Amino acid sequence: MKQTFLFLISLVAYSASYAFCGFYVAKAGADLYNNKSEVILVRDGKFTTITMSNNFQGNIKDFAMVVPVPNVLKREDIRIVDRSIFSMLDAYSAPRLVEYFDENPCQRRYYPVPAMYELDMVEETSVAKENSASLFKNKVTIEARYNVEEYEILILSAKESDGLKTWLLENGYQIPEKAETVLEPYIKSNMKFFVVKVNLNKYNPQANGGFLRPLQITVSSEKFMLPIRLGMANSKGEQDMMVYAFSKQGRVECTNYRTVEMPTGNNIPTFVKPNFGNFYSDVFRNKHSKEGRNAVMLEYAWNVTPSWGGMKCDPCVGNPPYFADLAQAGVGWTNDRSSSVFFTRMHVRYTLDKFPEDLFFQETPNKTNYQARYVITHPANGDLSCDDGKKYTLKLRQRRKKELAELAQLAQWDTYEFYDYIANGTDKIIGVEDSEKKNEFIPMGNSSGGKNPPKGLFVIICGLLVVYSAKRLITRFA
Amino acid sequence: MVKKLVSNFSTEANDPRYFQILYLGSFLFYGISYLSWNAEINKYLAIVGVAIVTQLFFTYFTTKRYSSIKSALITTLGLCLLLQTGQIWVGALAAFIAISSKFLIKIKNKHIFNPANIGIIGAILLTQQAWVSPGQWGSGVVFWFFVGAAGLMMVLKVGRIDTAVTFLLVFGGLLFARQVLYLGWETDVWMHKMNNGTLLLFAFFMITDPMTIPNHKRARIVWAAILGILLFIASNFYYMQSAAIWLLFFISPFTPIFDRVFKAKKYEWIEEAPQLIAEQELFV
Repeated sequence: MKQTFLFLISLVAYSASYAFCGFYVAKAGADLYNNKSEVILVRDGKFTTITMSNNFQGNIKDFAMVVPVPNVLKREDIRIVDRSIFSMLDAYSAPRLVEYFDENPCQRRYYPVPAMYELDMVEETSVAKENSASLFKNKVTIEARYNVEEYEILILSAKESDGLKTWLLENGYQIPEKAETVLEPYIKSNMKFFVVKVNLNKYNPQANGGFLRPLQITVSSEKFMLPIRLGMANSKGEQDMMVYAFSKQGRVECTNYRTVEMPTGNNIPTFVKPNFGNFYSDVFRNKHSKEGRNAVMLEYAWNVTPSWGGMKCDPCVGNPPYFADLAQAGVGWTNDRSSSVFFTRMHVRYTLDKFPEDLFFQETPNKTNYQARYVITHPANGDLSCDDGKKYTLKLRQRRKKELAELAQLAQWDTYEFYDYIANGTDKIIGVEDSEKKNEFIPMGNSSGGKNPPKGLFVIICGLLVVYSAKRLITRFA
Repeated sequence: MVKKLVSNFSTEANDPRYFQILYLGSFLFYGISYLSWNAEINKYLAIVGVAIVTQLFFTYFTTKRYSSIKSALITTLGLCLLLQTGQIWVGALAAFIAISSKFLIKIKNKHIFNPANIGIIGAILLTQQAWVSPGQWGSGVVFWFFVGAAGLMMVLKVGRIDTAVTFLLVFGGLLFARQVLYLGWETDVWMHKMNNGTLLLFAFFMITDPMTIPNHKRARIVWAAILGILLFIASNFYYMQSAAIWLLFFISPFTPIFDRVFKAKKYEWIEEAPQLIAEQELFV
């Protein structure tokens, strides 16, 4: 009996659920990052280096993986990297909460620099199906065979999906029924299959916290893509994938789905701090559904060239990736002073109905920095009875109203639960009459984020179009 | 007097370029308002400003027919919809290349390149800071938007819809044969590929531009079919990014050859203006 972990570039073949694990302060250890679906993509000319997180948690002898690749890989195209690279990149690029402290206008003093909190996302993966093993018949060609430390790797080519299916089944790889039909387009597109098992003689269960190490492969193809279809063969549920992309020029973007920036720079209430994980999860869900559930979300984009001294985040959640980290990730040009390293983090939440096609990407010259960043500002403490203090109190009240509105709009939280928030910041303050604190109006969303042009203009243009068409029609048929 | 004004207005309103301006304009606002496009107003203003000034400049020294500003506006909207860049000057440069190409690169008084097309290609090649985002459109509404455009264009007889229809039928047919019949993907995959704003914008607003495509109907159909076949090959076997934009650029110089083989009258924007047809040699 053998369990198979069948996926296409980090895609889990069976249902993968996704949940926020809450809130972690500062850098989280690798143990918090179990079962995360993550991919590092490095694009250099026509070469793509793909590092796949490996979250297999069953019996190690049951582990197997099938990844379609565009060409037959050589030995030097396959590497094993340290698991920590994923947590490092995640910690560095995760959506961030930044904290500021108001100064008391009545007694000028300095407060600590902004503190950073980081968001962690953990998902569960369950992969299991029993199958029978038998000897194979040569319906497929073994193009290459490598032993790479604890892994046994085969590169297969197949002429027909039935042949590959039979081979996989006879060799003890249980493939989902529908996966067979998804394998066919890859075979007919002349793709090869990168098939992996663990060599039990070389595997040390004590090493790496009992986890299998991520495999990194370099493929050569004009196609810059991640095949996600096989991963959805048997699953109708939502799956999440983090893509950490590195390129020479600028941002990486998806070419067959929209790449949309997450809201950023919003001022949110201070009470969100201990629930930042839940907050961001809700912001993501809300934004994702607002965009029709078929957009790729941008969470971070920045020039991270290690030899470049400029600021790489504002402020940084973790240490920016340096030479060694980038080398681990598969970036091969860090020593080339003339090329920069641009880091793009994309979060894809996909389902079969909304993402019918594999993900295709392109590298763009877009060097605009971006980070998903949310701001909380703590009110001033102490005596605020001076004139400036009174003004400050009024401003604070207005600000908190706006913060609640942002919260309602971004995360769809019911702000009635937090009705005392507006008053709370001020009524603790000594010496201020708070006549308004009763019957305070609690805003309910829709008050912010107005960067868009007036929608009225859209209506006017459409109206003109209708009038124009009518006019043309009348003159044509009159 | 009043009668004359009304008749002028009627002639003017029949100019199909108004339709294109309104349609593309509404699409741009839809994109900014609903598709989370970055509303780079400064970039748009730069493109519009430079395009109009360039058009006025060249018109002043050539035909002095200022109604051609409408063509410049269509080009401008095409650039705003398709050209991505972080730099305002790149947008301005694209607009300048687009409009000046109409006056400078001509054979037999017909400009060779679609202005928006050469503007985009010029900006990409010269600055390395421009790109096209084929993924910016999303799906769903976009599709119906273009179905609407196609329908209106047919009913209103705007532009040369035969090119768009031929191109889409050839490209879509080949893509269907490969993706669905041969490779075995579900029809969704084919639909998703066809339902791309860049492709549809290209089909309905770029290759229907009567000024840069063959004059003769048969020539146009052959021309559009070739473009469809080439696009299918380039995007499916060579994985070329933004293949349509590049192919149009490379195929455009062949338009005069089509015009030589298949002879037909050159298109006029305003039908009911016989006095203008006499001046058609100067039309730009």
